[in-house]
Amino acid sequence: MSKKITLKSSDGESFEVEEAVARQSQTLANLIEDNCTDGEIPITNVTSNILAKVVEYCKKHVVVDGGDDSSSSSTSEEDLKKWDADFMQVDQSTMFDLILAANYLNVASLLDLACQTVADMITACKGAEEIRAKFGIENDFTPEEEAEIAKATQWAFQ
Amino acid sequence: MNYFPDEVIEHIFDFIASHKDRNSISLVSKSWHKIERCSRKRVFIGNCYAINPERLIERFPSLKSLTLKGKPHFADFNLVPHEWGGFVHPWIVALAKARVGLEELRLKRMVVSDESLELLSRSFAGFKSLVLVSCEGFTTDGLASIAANCRHLRELDLQENEIEDHRGQWLNCFPESSTALTSLNFSCLKGETNLAALERLVARSPNLESLKVNRAVPLDALTRLMSCAPQLVDLGVGSYENEPDQESFVKLMDAIKKCTSLRSLSGFSEVAPLCLTAFYPICQNLTSLNLSYAAEIQGNHVVRFIQFCKRLQRLWILDSIGDKGLEVVASTCKELQELRVFPSDLHDEEDNNEASVTEIGLVAISAGCPKLHSILYFCKQMTNAALITVAKNCPNFIRFRLCILEPNKPDHTTSQSLDEGFGAIVQACKGLRRLSVSGLLTDKVFLYIGMYAEQLEMLSIAFAGDTDKGMLYVLNGCKKMRKLEIRDSPFGNAALLADVDKYRTMRSLWMSSCEVTLGGCKRLARNAPWLNVEIINENENNDLMMERNEEDEREKVDRLYLYRTVVGARKDAPPCVTIL
Repeated sequence: MSKKITLKSSDGESFEVEEAVARQSQTLANLIEDNCTDGEIPITNVTSNILAKVVEYCKKHVVVDGGDDSSSSSTSEEDLKKWDADFMQVDQSTMFDLILAANYLNVASLLDLACQTVADMITACKGAEEIRAKFGIENDFTPEEEAEIAKATQWAFQ
Repeated sequence: MNYFPDEVIEHIFDFIASHKDRNSISLVSKSWHKIERCSRKRVFIGNCYAINPERLIERFPSLKSLTLKGKPHFADFNLVPHEWGGFVHPWIVALAKARVGLEELRLKRMVVSDESLELLSRSFAGFKSLVLVSCEGFTTDGLASIAANCRHLRELDLQENEIEDHRGQWLNCFPESSTALTSLNFSCLKGETNLAALERLVARSPNLESLKVNRAVPLDALTRLMSCAPQLVDLGVGSYENEPDQESFVKLMDAIKKCTSLRSLSGFSEVAPLCLTAFYPICQNLTSLNLSYAAEIQGNHVVRFIQFCKRLQRLWILDSIGDKGLEVVASTCKELQELRVFPSDLHDEEDNNEASVTEIGLVAISAGCPKLHSILYFCKQMTNAALITVAKNCPNFIRFRLCILEPNKPDHTTSQSLDEGFGAIVQACKGLRRLSVSGLLTDKVFLYIGMYAEQLEMLSIAFAGDTDKGMLYVLNGCKKMRKLEIRDSPFGNAALLADVDKYRTMRSLWMSSCEVTLGGCKRLARNAPWLNVEIINENENNDLMMERNEEDEREKVDRLYLYRTVVGARKDAPPCVTIL
């Protein structure tokens, strides 16, 4: 019978998960190793809606023990990719909170997935102005600085 | 996103690789700029004189991979003197001094010395990959230092370089502990090779995927090499003039059969037809085939070979394949994406119609190969009708280079110019990025190019056009133009000077044997101090040219090469180059 871990979000909601699920987070895995997991673990930086998503991801990505034949596991690899893509269909704010949560909890595969998704959004933009607009980033270059960098960038490195 | 910690932003940037995208993110904000430039691993410099090593290192201190290009493209046609420039040495010196963790260096049309290679081999402990394309100035001694000192070398790829061959002990210089090689290409070396050393090296390189030997590796050695490297994906073979005897043939075929991963085949500078048949067992797996060096082999042998290659995506051949041969390619190679047909005999006196290709072959290919997107086609004749058909069949061309061997040759059925044919190409192929035109062409073709070729980045013009209008149509119309190279065409100062700011948006312009004068070039240099305006004249030296008086300003410039730069006039120009 595997151990259950209880996580508590910053806004007080509790999530009970199997140890294997919690171990997807390197941060939590370390706590488990150090036997610090009696009672609830407060996840102070993550709200309940985001923590729910992280838990959902980790549940889906738990590696099931026991050997399956390779053909069925390759199908589930495809299905998993599809699931991941659907999972990432969230608004920008949720996406960013997921990244921060994955970073804080050190869930490597979720962090990679979310960063890849944001990277794809960036590369879909046609240039710096569009990127700023999409992500609400302030242009803190002076016009002269920007022109200088743009010139060197375009003339030399392209 | 403004509140992301830097390491998270860097993590996102890890998934952004292309130069274009990384250049975009570096302009978003100060913090993004800093994170991007400090984490950038791969840098591409399309013109080594647009920037200098110090500024490169200042901006990208963590770089691991550097690509540098030197001489302009027309150097391939002997239009650029050897000593023109493009020296890699100062770059290696600066990178070594700054202790940059260089792992990969890719050079094209640069001058590389043995001293440079020695310094490279001693300065970067993690160095993994050296790719030299169309470079010159070094010998096999330089290769020996790379082999001996680069402990982690994975890739040594020498393509079309001019290397002085001191006769093959360099292969011996790979230490016994060197087992990491994934790619070794020395096909351009002319001399003998230490076969025993080569065989030992291949035998202890289990990760070797690409091996391209030179002509001096005989058949029995090739057989042994293939036997101890059945994992090869990419193979370049040597020269096999003589028909192999029965025993050698069987051994060769057995070795080839075991190479089930082989996807790419090249080499064959001479090949007896029987040798070629030994490769039949793996033809069905080939996606890339380069038989463009096999000048002596008859077209029908090549055709028979290709008939087995149903999966070809890339094919480089000689025009000795003929139109009939291309028809076979069209019906066999349905996956074909890139085709290059090179001229087999550039100096033929007899009009040997069998040993060449015409518009018939081109049309056949366009009709049969729906995935074709890149073509380089040397031929003796062309028609507008054919080009119009090709345009209709293949609207997906990205690269279209047509080289009719005789300058100014008209449509051979109507005697008209080929303006309409090329016009159809640029109108249909909305994604066209590279174009070479040839044959009889008036200003009209350039009107079409300026009007329709919206994505065009590189254009090569030879013996074409009537007036400055032609060049102006291109400069005004093609917003994405990066490299424009023109020879033997009647474009002059009016076109050159019409819109100086246009050259801010282009990497370079080459004009040789055109109508531009010294006065025009001087005026351009005065109006655009951010350009290097180079006059190349092998009969003069710098001083004489600068003292020219008024009359001489009207003298036509033999070769003009101009390019934008952030670091001003270069200091390493030889006497035959004047920077205005």
